[in-house]
Amino acid sequence: MTTVLEPATRHSGLDHRELRAAAVRVLLANWSGKGTVPSRSLYPHQWSWDSAFIAIGLRHLSPRRAQQELEWLLSAQWADGRVPHIAFNPEVPADAYFPSPDFWRSSRAGRHRGAPAHTETSGIVQPPVHALAAWLVHRADPRESARRGFLPRVAARLESWHRYLATHRDLGGGGLAAVLHPWEPGLDNSPCWDTPLGRVTPAPEDSYHRVDLDHSVAADRPTDLDYARYVRLARDYRDSGYDDGAPHAFQVEDPGFNALLIMSEHALAEILRTVGENPSPALARAERLTAALGERLWDPERRIFAPRELRDDRLLPVAGVSGLLPLAVPGLPRPLADALVSTARGERFRLGQVHMVPSYDLTDSQFDANRYWRGPSWFNTGWLVHRGLRACGHTAAADELREGILHDAWSSGFAEYVNPLTGDGRGIRDFSWTAALVLDLLADPREER
Amino acid sequence: MLKLACQEQLLPGDTLQAKWDFAQAAGYDGIELRGKGDQHFRDRLPELRAARADGVVMPTVCVDMLHFFGAFDPAQRRGAVEQMKSQLSVIAELGGLGAQTPASYGMFSRRLPPFEPPRSEAEDREVLLAGLAELGEHARAEGVTLFLEPLNRYEDHMVNRLEQAVDLIGETGLDSVRIGIDSYHMNIEETDPAASILAAAPWIGHAQVSDSNRFQPGAGHLDWPAWLGALESSGYTGWLAAECRLTGDPEDAVRAVPAFLRRAAG
Repeated sequence: MTTVLEPATRHSGLDHRELRAAAVRVLLANWSGKGTVPSRSLYPHQWSWDSAFIAIGLRHLSPRRAQQELEWLLSAQWADGRVPHIAFNPEVPADAYFPSPDFWRSSRAGRHRGAPAHTETSGIVQPPVHALAAWLVHRADPRESARRGFLPRVAARLESWHRYLATHRDLGGGGLAAVLHPWEPGLDNSPCWDTPLGRVTPAPEDSYHRVDLDHSVAADRPTDLDYARYVRLARDYRDSGYDDGAPHAFQVEDPGFNALLIMSEHALAEILRTVGENPSPALARAERLTAALGERLWDPERRIFAPRELRDDRLLPVAGVSGLLPLAVPGLPRPLADALVSTARGERFRLGQVHMVPSYDLTDSQFDANRYWRGPSWFNTGWLVHRGLRACGHTAAADELREGILHDAWSSGFAEYVNPLTGDGRGIRDFSWTAALVLDLLADPREER
Repeated sequence: MLKLACQEQLLPGDTLQAKWDFAQAAGYDGIELRGKGDQHFRDRLPELRAARADGVVMPTVCVDMLHFFGAFDPAQRRGAVEQMKSQLSVIAELGGLGAQTPASYGMFSRRLPPFEPPRSEAEDREVLLAGLAELGEHARAEGVTLFLEPLNRYEDHMVNRLEQAVDLIGETGLDSVRIGIDSYHMNIEETDPAASILAAAPWIGHAQVSDSNRFQPGAGHLDWPAWLGALESSGYTGWLAAECRLTGDPEDAVRAVPAFLRRAAG
């Protein structure tokens, strides 16, 4: 049963100074020398979108580390432009995480796509938050950024990343980037993927060993059947030589993934302008993406953006938090923004009445308050919705969400995610992006973002 | 809020009072004294008492001698212990917090010929523990703290990293012995200075600051926001004392430090 609390009582007694110190301790403890691990226990390597969100917070602690975080991730970029979703740390034992480097075999299976020979990575991608992160990191200390040549160093790599998505990943031909695996949009086991994933033949269970259950409660993690399908999809992609043009059992245009790409294209334009290069291609891509987002992914019935399955070329009848993320897209038409705010406040997400923003439709039978991306509220999506609310002028709602995020982070010990109905922490604790985004929200909200 | 001190020899002025005027104007909150040997520091008591009466804030003293409590030579060791006890007593009388010393300085480096010290590691440890116990007991009786400073490998062969200091101090079991960290030495010795600060946080009692090149903070390439962020988030409420060489105009260099550190601390 959802407990609705008054905002005034819900967030009382939070010491921001203490919260900041605790967040700093998490980030310092999870720093590996060149980048930040999402978690010392469950995620001992560098993850793509994690690093971007981490850098956004780390810039308030150490602008230099924030720059290094992104530089180190981008050093694992493939020559075809893709930024892999994991860059493996060779010092970590191979069996510490699955799928391991032995599974992805990037330097061999990805050789023809330009996978680096010097480091092992996964072959799939995650949402392109990096240019946005790089721009925010630069803005935190432009002098240190200039001294280290940060923007000139990352600009070409970010441009190449976006070009990869615009060309190799426009599988639907409608101008949006498609994802080939449920891990790519970042919302791994969201019910949004149940239908397309259900058609995937699972990998035999004895062909791999999950490591995630050694560190987290099984009820909070994806099921074995889902996992077997994830493995199958990744294995098939690998066996195709990471060929984006090969047939793929899972092909979806995700609104969150594309919204983040649009935000990053705008940020890339700023970066290019700053380093004296032409921002027009990035701005043109942002414009095309924004138009395509409205044309291809808007669900007028649910008044939310929805994933489009390319196999049947149809919108999936689901309402996930990724459908709210376009709220943060610069220049989103006002009627769509207003509709999104209304949906966020409505029965599906109950913004302001539950903890942060649930990852899935509260009214749907597939909603699960505890299981990973099937309902729990996550801090990065909360941060993005907060950003969108602010951008749209819904300042009071944004402020309330901000206080809720800070409170939930503190009370859960910087959990990976929380039960949206109770606020109880789920998954692992001392999760890096949770701490990082707390630091960002604690920074002066008047500062231009 | 950072509490910043500047070592006295860096400040312009003929008297502590004049140096204090300059220090305050530059944004410092105190002056770290330098304690020479041969009872020189004790002999300064009239000067120091007068300065205190005039409002000069002097929280700490840093040893300025050529032999230390970890010396190979027993007579030098004894002499150093007696000098340090005297310095602890003087800083206590001045209402200060404590005195900082390394195990040794310039006596031996395993990285320079002849590479092998004349004393075994076990013997080093015995000597250091005996010295820390005696000095720690004296500090406790005086109500102040002895700060043990790890130095880089080229300046001392016994205590280079915070974890080594934690190990020794833990064995003494004395709250009156803490680590006096130094950003310059940490930059050479610690894999991750910020993580080392967090790991040693309960043991850190004092901090000295200079940049990667031993010049004033801001003149080198240390990641000051990360270093200071670690110190603040670990709950450290002690002093940061500038112990450095100066590059550029000396007065300008000294004057620039407080603003730089406060900006870097966020």
